[in-house]
Amino acid sequence: MKSNLTLWKKLALCLIFSSYAMALYAQQPVTGRVTAGDTSLPGVVVYIKGKGVNTQTDNDGRYSINAPAGATLTFSLMGYTSKEVPVNNRGTINVQLESSTQGLGEVVVVGYGTQKRKDLTGAIASLNATAYKDQPVLNASSALQGRVAGVSVANSSGAPGGAVKIRIRGANSINASNDPLYVIDGVALSSISIQDINVNDIASMEVLKDASATAIYGSRGANGVIIITTKSGKSGDMHLEYNGFLSSNTPMKKYKLLDAQGYATLANHIAGTNVFADPASYAGKGTDWQDMVFHNGTTQNHQLSVSGGTEKSRYYISGYYVNQSGLLLNTSQEKFALRANLDSKLSKKVSIGVGIFAGHSNSHNNGDIGGKGNPVMSALAWAPTEPVYDSGTQYNRFAISPIWSNPYMTIKERKNDNSANSVVLNGRLKYDITDWLSLNVNVGLDANISRTAYLNNDWVSPGNPGSGQSSLENYTIQNSNSLTFHKKFNEKHDFTVMGIVEETSSKFNSFSASGSGLTSTSNGYNNLGLNTSQGISSAYTNWALLSYVGRASYTFNDKYLITATYRADGSSKFQSTANKWGYFPSVGIGWRLSEESFIKDLGIFSNLKLRGSWGITGNQSINPYSSLGLLSGVQYSYGGTTLYQGYLLGSPSNPDLKWETTKQTDIGLDVGLLGGRVNVTADYYNKRTKDLLLQVPIASYDGGGTMYKNVGAVNNKGFEFFVDIAAVQTHDFSWTATINASTYKNRVVSLGKDSILYRPVIGGGLINTNIQVVKTGQALGSFYLIPWQGVYTSDDNTLGYKAGDNHYRDVSGNKSIGYEDRVIAGSALPKFLWGFNNNFHYKQFELNVFVQASHGNKIFNATYAGIAAPTSDVKYPTLAESANYASSKNPDAEWADPASKTNRSYVESTQYLQNGSYVRLKNVSLSYALLKKTTRFADIRFTLSAQNLYTITKYKGYDPEATSTSATSDADAGIDLGAYPSPRTITFGVNISL
Amino acid sequence: MKLHKIAPLLLLLFTSCSKDFLKEDPRSNLTPDNFYKTADDLNMATIGLYTQMNGAFNQSAGFSTLWGGDDITVARAGNKISYSDFDTYQATSSNDRMTNWWSYFYSTIKSSNSLINNYQNATGASEDARNQAAGQAYFFRALSYFFLTRTWGAVPLITDNKVDYTRTKAEPTDIYTLIVADLQKAETMLPDGWDGTKRQNGVDIPPTRGSAKALLANVYLTMAGWPLKQTDKYALAAAKAKEVIDGKATWGYDLVSNFADLWKRTGKFNHETVFGCYYNVSVSGWAWENYNMLTPNAYAPDDEGGWGDGYAEINFYKKFPAGPRKDATYQMVYYINNDPNNAVDWTKVQRKHPYFFKFRDDDAFNPTNHVNNNWIGSHTVPVIRYAEVLLTYAEAQAMSAAPDATAYAAINLVRKRAGLGDLVAGLSQSAFRDSVIAERGWEFAGVEPAARWYDLIRTETVKKANSDRDASEEALKNIPDDATHTFYWAPIPIGDQQLNSNL
Repeated sequence: MKSNLTLWKKLALCLIFSSYAMALYAQQPVTGRVTAGDTSLPGVVVYIKGKGVNTQTDNDGRYSINAPAGATLTFSLMGYTSKEVPVNNRGTINVQLESSTQGLGEVVVVGYGTQKRKDLTGAIASLNATAYKDQPVLNASSALQGRVAGVSVANSSGAPGGAVKIRIRGANSINASNDPLYVIDGVALSSISIQDINVNDIASMEVLKDASATAIYGSRGANGVIIITTKSGKSGDMHLEYNGFLSSNTPMKKYKLLDAQGYATLANHIAGTNVFADPASYAGKGTDWQDMVFHNGTTQNHQLSVSGGTEKSRYYISGYYVNQSGLLLNTSQEKFALRANLDSKLSKKVSIGVGIFAGHSNSHNNGDIGGKGNPVMSALAWAPTEPVYDSGTQYNRFAISPIWSNPYMTIKERKNDNSANSVVLNGRLKYDITDWLSLNVNVGLDANISRTAYLNNDWVSPGNPGSGQSSLENYTIQNSNSLTFHKKFNEKHDFTVMGIVEETSSKFNSFSASGSGLTSTSNGYNNLGLNTSQGISSAYTNWALLSYVGRASYTFNDKYLITATYRADGSSKFQSTANKWGYFPSVGIGWRLSEESFIKDLGIFSNLKLRGSWGITGNQSINPYSSLGLLSGVQYSYGGTTLYQGYLLGSPSNPDLKWETTKQTDIGLDVGLLGGRVNVTADYYNKRTKDLLLQVPIASYDGGGTMYKNVGAVNNKGFEFFVDIAAVQTHDFSWTATINASTYKNRVVSLGKDSILYRPVIGGGLINTNIQVVKTGQALGSFYLIPWQGVYTSDDNTLGYKAGDNHYRDVSGNKSIGYEDRVIAGSALPKFLWGFNNNFHYKQFELNVFVQASHGNKIFNATYAGIAAPTSDVKYPTLAESANYASSKNPDAEWADPASKTNRSYVESTQYLQNGSYVRLKNVSLSYALLKKTTRFADIRFTLSAQNLYTITKYKGYDPEATSTSATSDADAGIDLGAYPSPRTITFGVNISL
Repeated sequence: MKLHKIAPLLLLLFTSCSKDFLKEDPRSNLTPDNFYKTADDLNMATIGLYTQMNGAFNQSAGFSTLWGGDDITVARAGNKISYSDFDTYQATSSNDRMTNWWSYFYSTIKSSNSLINNYQNATGASEDARNQAAGQAYFFRALSYFFLTRTWGAVPLITDNKVDYTRTKAEPTDIYTLIVADLQKAETMLPDGWDGTKRQNGVDIPPTRGSAKALLANVYLTMAGWPLKQTDKYALAAAKAKEVIDGKATWGYDLVSNFADLWKRTGKFNHETVFGCYYNVSVSGWAWENYNMLTPNAYAPDDEGGWGDGYAEINFYKKFPAGPRKDATYQMVYYINNDPNNAVDWTKVQRKHPYFFKFRDDDAFNPTNHVNNNWIGSHTVPVIRYAEVLLTYAEAQAMSAAPDATAYAAINLVRKRAGLGDLVAGLSQSAFRDSVIAERGWEFAGVEPAARWYDLIRTETVKKANSDRDASEEALKNIPDDATHTFYWAPIPIGDQQLNSNL
């Protein structure tokens, strides 16, 4: 206590003296050296805060600047945490900068608290906003894509605001969700998705991967956790920043389709009759339906933020606007968002904070436009011989093939508008009861209130126009209260113990009204009363979670680290008390070898840490009431136009349903070399998920459908590497790069008494049997298809196929080809993902080149299958290649003769399974910074960039990232059934900072 | 340390929780526990039955199992191969079309079983309401099993609502025992007529006592033939059919005067339909089982932009006696590329088959050029027509007693409407019966649930019928044997075989 007092006195004296001195001397030269560890840092920008005067360090890391004695110097360099140092009348100031990506002293957000990176025992990756600052990132998922080892991100729909599939360390669950848990400023998102958050407000994201890190989220931690920390103000002058960009979006690729004449010729050949009287009369005519539905879209994005504060109170306020039009005609989304983060220290012991986020979006026609037969697929399948209009503005409704609607009409006449409000509120209070005990109370709310309205005019719903509206409200309230004890004994023993009680409750309400026989469309969807017959419906669900959590960590001498966590979770989704409660322990240990003298003496490692962890996490993310055996509603009209409600018996209830649990072991190594210029993190993990919440199919004779059971086990293992290199650092030029790579090995270990489980048929009518299965010994997302071996060049009398027919393998040996011949043919899950991000810095120029890749995954291209051969929905194929069918003149053709009487052909074959691997030049951007000293008022940065510029892939569809299967599922995955492709974009951006 | 100040805050850690915090309360969903209580519940449960039966009959898919009949064929190419596989006797378990019937009939059975096993608990409903609901469930279960066993033969016989992956196939005799028992119950429990929404344009939409009797008559007639060959059932069939004929005024049944009127839009609700499935393309909202894909388009030939799901077999067509019935059954002239000025006789088009034109009038159909602007429509599918009751009576009466005057009267009513003279008098029992079978073939030719195929298998004449297949027809891959009954039954769908090895 006494020494403290003297320090305060000295400081006070210093202050008085310095202000006195400042009055005497306006400016004085300050020199010094900037280093990181033992390495000097060239190219560090040194400037006087609030003045804009700046300089840079030379190759030895030295600088010199004239600064007022009371000024504050700011030191900043890409890849390092900026540092502010008050001059305090000194002439020499030497500064140590910490690497921002792997900074050891850097504070990392962990579940319900923070830790210094050096003290971590878990596998946690951090992504700072600076890593993607020059890229036109519209949402958090694009920020994550390719930048964090062990995290896979695929844009499964390219629609504005479309679905994204995010996985941490692969897929564990078959039917329950594999989506990670998103925690934003302490609020675990339940009602809204990560895409609803304004990415520009994100300061950092921490990805919690192993059990030591995730088990504290117990019930919802099995798929990993992404903790998002939003920006907050810093005490000091007001900081104003504008960020904006404009993009032009164009399709990356087009299918090569038959022209009208080729199509007519092929149709006549297949039908064996003159479907078209004179194919030659179509020469040079016809409709290019792809051109009709796709167009070039645009995106504009603006973000303005103000931040600042005093020592006691800080603020960050931002406003956001984005407007994006999709590649498909008449699809768009507009988003507005506002955030205010306020923190205040009420007294020495009590501080409070609030975060308010409110977002609003208006989406036009960008919801899922159905699976099979959606505009993407029907644009490819519609006969090119068909005109868009029958006459004038009368659409041609009905094509000779397929049975789907005119895609241009569907997309032009469709009117489906969604307006959504998303809110995240959180209030926090921290009370430092003593210097070793503190109480944290966190109350959060996330809510989604949205309204959808549609108008089906006479074109969309011929003879029976209608309109409807529906609204839904989803509120999740979360309260967590924690007590934290932290004390250091004898400078060597550092203890932290924390206890938490948490309650989460989520309510969902929906209401919808719709009608048909609309007597006038002039009021759009705003006057539902104009409908002759009307129907209403509503729904309610609720789920709740009650949790008790504890964590203890102990560090000895900064070298040996141990963390143990325990969580008990009670979930409403299971029925008996015994099944409701799940228990999730974990333990993690760390050894900071670099603190041992025998490693220090080597002089190689700036950091070396070995980590190991084990723990159990759980999954209960099934819909509420899934185990109750609910009845399902149907509607019937007695041959009239009014529908009456009826009910069918649902699937049986299952009161024995319980938690799905995942055991995970992780071994990791953190290495820092060359004074921190090279940092490597490597991890190996092994996860085993058991009692899978599985939707087991029910035989059709028992009514079909599925029911939830706890069945089987799935194993996931893999390696992850993350390398961060400051490759070149000179005064004018620097090159920093990050490389991340992850391998995935997914295997179904057991399925209880079964060895195979058939996934539901997706795209019935085109695909007529289960083409995906869950099979022991195989990966999730495995395709189950009849092996296709090309086209026969001679007759096969055993199987009854002739030359020119599709050649399938008779796996069952029953001398007939059928679904009994299906075999495992690969999986939709990637085996290897990597990303390579480069930043080149030359004077005021900065170049970013970012490559992202996925390997080893297969895609069943049902879009392609649907247009390549006759099926029940598509009578005549449109794919250009399909005209190259086998005949006596063309015996070696790749395609079977579609007119053959002996060719019993199967879409459900390996013929349409394609390699989904790709390497994509995700981003190239060049920016130029005009510094404040030039502009006199602000730092201005201009950026020109391109996204999805080039893709190397063997995939024959539009986009290997785009799939039609649900983003929450991995057992159903990798099927392209008219999936909405992502665009190629060219972007011009401006950043103004003052 | 000021513990007194901390204490209240510490208490926050032990948030009070109500006992029900973790209890599920599905406030907007019905569960089996809170259903089957009132008359409205029972009504909603029967609506479920209507939709599932509608799903079986609203498209060609399940009907494809009947393509083995000598009345219908298909051009074997492209997406019609799975139909042709039944036509040419080479269908496999992987056939993608037949599963529609398998799934929808069993789904009807599931909901019927649930209603049958629960209706007595509906203490909130009157006894009449309970019986009427259960009577419908018995009717729908019997109808479903009748189609299942005629199509697939031995199939699982399920009367519970368990999920069981070890069920075995029941023999047809056991299945018919249940069908008969169900229909005997339906006969007593169903009303003679309905009111309110259940009666549209004076026609009862759900089954009535009359529908149950008519179905039971058909069931008995089938039991008298292959595979059960219980010839004592002829008498029962005749008696049951006679009840329907004698009581036709009670249920309002009669032949529609003009055969063609049955297939017109204006004939949507008609008095000849003893039991039918009703659809409407203009319902509010998307409701698959309320739409009918048996539109003019489904059977129109490729040259008219149709799907060509089935064509007339040439020799059957040739034998079909001319008259208004034939004219309403077939279209003989093609409007090539929908040009009525380019009308070409079927013998001169490349396909060289007349096509079926029963579902000939629909909301989006233009009869002048045969352009159909929608593939879903509102046609009624008659599952049992009064004409079938008459013909069932004629056959059963002749076989159980003799081709007496009542039997002649019954068949001649049907012939008269078809524009034919009376059947030659004094025919032998077997000659009379062959005449009825032929008459049935013409009356129900093409896509009708009273299918020619079922007549051929119960009379064991599939091979015989095929012996007269025109040489220009698609060649048969296999020829069924009328003694060993090969290809009489469709293969069990692979989907359920892979879930249950007992199938």
